[in-house]
Amino acid sequence: MVALLFTAILLPFLLLPAVLAVGDRWRARTGWLALAAPVGSFAILLHLALTVAEPGGRLVVELAWVPSLGLDFTFMIDGLSLFFGLVVSGMGILVVFYASHYLDDHYRHHDRFYAYLLLFMGAMLGTVLAGNLLLLFVFWELTGITSFLLIGFLHEKSESRDGARMALLVTATTGLAMLAGIVLLGQAAGTYEIAALMDGAARNASPGTLSAAFVLIAIGALGKSAQFPFHFWLPNAMAAPTPVSAYLHSATMVKLGVFLIARIFPVFQGVELWAPLLITICFGTMLLAAVLALLSQDLKAILAFSTVSQLGFLIGFYGMGPAGGVQGDLLHIASHVFYKGCLFMVVGIVDHSTGVRDIRQLGGLRRELPLLAGITLVAAASMAGLPGTLGFISKEYMLKDMFAYWEGSAALAWYPLVFVGVASALKVAFSARIYWGIFGGPPSEKALAHFHAPGLGMQLAPLLLAGACLLFGLFPGLLGTGLAALQTAGLHDPTVVHYSLWHGVTREFLTSLLIMAAGAVVFFWLRRSFWARARIPAPLRFDAGFEGLVTAVPKWAKALGLALRFDRQFDYLAIALGFMVLMVGGYWWTQRTVLWPGLPTEADFDPVRTLVVGLIALAMAMIIVMRRWTSQLIAVSIIGFLITFYYVLFRAPDLAMTQILVESATLLLVLLLLARFPRSAEISEIGWFFSGRRQAVNLAISAGVGLLATLAALMAMQHRHPDPSGDYYLANTVPLAHGTNTVNTILVDFRGFDTLLEATVLVIACLGAIGLVMRYRRTAEEYAAGAMGPAGYGLGRKTEKKAEEADQ
Amino acid sequence: MKTGDSYIFRSVASFLFFVINVFAVYLLLRGHNLPGGGFIGGLGSALSLIMLSMAYGVREAQKVLRVDPVRLATVGLLLAVVTGMLPLFLGEPFLRHFHWKFDGLPLLGKLEVGTPLLFDIGIFLVVVGVTAKMIFVLFRSISGLTALNPSEWRRYSADLEEPVEREHSRSSSELETEDGP
Repeated sequence: MVALLFTAILLPFLLLPAVLAVGDRWRARTGWLALAAPVGSFAILLHLALTVAEPGGRLVVELAWVPSLGLDFTFMIDGLSLFFGLVVSGMGILVVFYASHYLDDHYRHHDRFYAYLLLFMGAMLGTVLAGNLLLLFVFWELTGITSFLLIGFLHEKSESRDGARMALLVTATTGLAMLAGIVLLGQAAGTYEIAALMDGAARNASPGTLSAAFVLIAIGALGKSAQFPFHFWLPNAMAAPTPVSAYLHSATMVKLGVFLIARIFPVFQGVELWAPLLITICFGTMLLAAVLALLSQDLKAILAFSTVSQLGFLIGFYGMGPAGGVQGDLLHIASHVFYKGCLFMVVGIVDHSTGVRDIRQLGGLRRELPLLAGITLVAAASMAGLPGTLGFISKEYMLKDMFAYWEGSAALAWYPLVFVGVASALKVAFSARIYWGIFGGPPSEKALAHFHAPGLGMQLAPLLLAGACLLFGLFPGLLGTGLAALQTAGLHDPTVVHYSLWHGVTREFLTSLLIMAAGAVVFFWLRRSFWARARIPAPLRFDAGFEGLVTAVPKWAKALGLALRFDRQFDYLAIALGFMVLMVGGYWWTQRTVLWPGLPTEADFDPVRTLVVGLIALAMAMIIVMRRWTSQLIAVSIIGFLITFYYVLFRAPDLAMTQILVESATLLLVLLLLARFPRSAEISEIGWFFSGRRQAVNLAISAGVGLLATLAALMAMQHRHPDPSGDYYLANTVPLAHGTNTVNTILVDFRGFDTLLEATVLVIACLGAIGLVMRYRRTAEEYAAGAMGPAGYGLGRKTEKKAEEADQ
Repeated sequence: MKTGDSYIFRSVASFLFFVINVFAVYLLLRGHNLPGGGFIGGLGSALSLIMLSMAYGVREAQKVLRVDPVRLATVGLLLAVVTGMLPLFLGEPFLRHFHWKFDGLPLLGKLEVGTPLLFDIGIFLVVVGVTAKMIFVLFRSISGLTALNPSEWRRYSADLEEPVEREHSRSSSELETEDGP
């Protein structure tokens, strides 16, 4: 069972190399290979759901990773994680299948596309199955990064790049808040294990800590699910290829916020802020996004805003949840997955066939795309909540809960019902608009100009989804049985509900009719003239403000840098060192009776050591006396080589060798750099930058630093650490690490994690340096001047100019 | 920088290049029990490349290495990570090392090796790769060449991006011929 679970999560990652290897040759057919991952994961998860899981049960699988940090590979199988795992892998099958038809040979880089998609799928499965909050966070961020790559897949377009950057900045920033919340919760509860937290490990934490942790985690969830005030990123993320939008931005990634709120429901439901925060923000977003969807013209933007709206409902629904648990949440999520994924694919096909996405320029396509028209009719009906579709069932039970909440005594009891009612009416209107906009009315010439009919393969995935909307809408009991098996302890009310199509003429049914009627009125009223010129008013366009903020930050930073004169490093050196001398030296002076180390005695002097110190002092004098940069540099290097002697003295041959090699390499590299500067740059000295008084101050600071260093050396000789860590390593290097070179065993074994991270930093630094080198643009004159051309910027140019003036 | 104009230096350098690298690998292999290790060995190997660049010019040195050094560094990092992850599959914590003892091997006799050596080889490759890349980039920039050659450009920049630094037809072709033997 453990192996099965790990296979399900790792399958997308394992398939990566194969996809990358064949991508160049197979091109559009790469998708067929990638299809193996979601199919395999889905089959395994389904198998687990059928055999292992039982309603209300929970299974935890552990694997130690960094036990000292409380970070384990813990995965948890319960109803919620299985449900989301099935959604992720099941939609994965359809989306990869759809993408393999959508991304035909006109597109490039199929290998990259499917690699990103598989990475994303693996990250999603990891997030929903994670049993440890820190592990969940790691996978959570991985979904953010892969979604960045997927949104920016068509990176030649600036809107793709901007959309990708916006999505990454918003979700990563809110993700940081979430990390803070997770750490706060983990510290208060003493564990990061979700199972323990759900069982009440955080019970004894103070209400203040719990509230703070909840708000921080909620920010992460709201950011990921594009709730107010972060609702602007999702429509901009629509620059992604449509299969990506269908997968990430309707069915899976944006649902992570919903998932997280459901996950922490048992932990935070009792917190006083839970209901007010989630209800006000999310139902507010639901209405706002419905209005924005009504005002949008791009098909994908309409769907994006309607997704934001529906996500608002799904999160707000948990906000209303009573302490005993909620019911029907999985039904609402499943319903949304079916119709929204389907509609996104439909829009993709329309875009693919006509090249038009503006709803005003489409129309009359029912003759050209008869099958697609039928699919759209069902999916749009499900979105609007018409009887016979799953959306209707979902809306009935949703209204039932709204009425129940209204009758309860909570504050703002009317708020959800009113907001959901109005938003649902608007939803009916824009659902109708999507269908009529594409298929109704007179045929549009612009849409037919480049029309080519889509194949059946591309329409198969949305057809299946629309079929599910219809099937489960007519026989809700089928879905109800399945969902009842996925009941989650702590989250769901254990009483079993039997979903049925008809419950008589109830107030929910009447309200539903009212909503449909109102929606129809809105639709016919707005259709006359409003939609032809509707646009989103500027104050509601948060994305412009966000872009402004992003571009303003470097400008502010530059202005601040100029104001603080970061280019004058000599001043900064003087300030920093002078401050150190005053503060540390001043403190030492007040404590001098205690801290006076005493002068070294005769016995401390050793002829060899004294000789080496003398040589070092000589090299230092050379630095001051020498005029040429290269000579100064070599003098500095001599000091470095002489220090090797001390390593030898203290029996550290490894350090001595490292010191020699590092010293040689840096000396050569800096010499190379100096070769870039013109000879004229070093003719004059730094000295004449400064007045005589300034030079006196510099001298005083230098003397102070020298005195401090001497004192520090004297004190270091007097004191020994009471418990040196070296003894442990010396004693254990052979028994534990099987090596006699302690320095090496520390590097590769005892502190191997440090070494690994340092090596990573080295590679990152190298890539960063390459980036800097690539940015440097030499002019034609500089090329013509050859290798010793004028230096790029800064001190060199300034001195050169002054030297020139001095010559005249 | 004018390079490749000393016959004595070139002869000595090509001989020393092998000596240094053999010694570097020797340091790497014995690192677990005697002074040495991946970091030291890698630095030594990188120094041999500096020497080669000085003697023959950077383009010859790049030809000797054949691959882009960043690839070496990446492979090294992957090797280290994979070595660290192997124990995970056996239910052991990340970065746990394993050792095996061999007795009576031909030529070698008694030998004790373990996964730390793999990890150290990874570090060796990272150090060689990163240092060599910086050496080559700096050497190229003072030899009048663009910092990256065209094939590297394709790898480090996006498809449609124009190189910010273009080789100017006349002046650069002169410089190109000046570089190397």
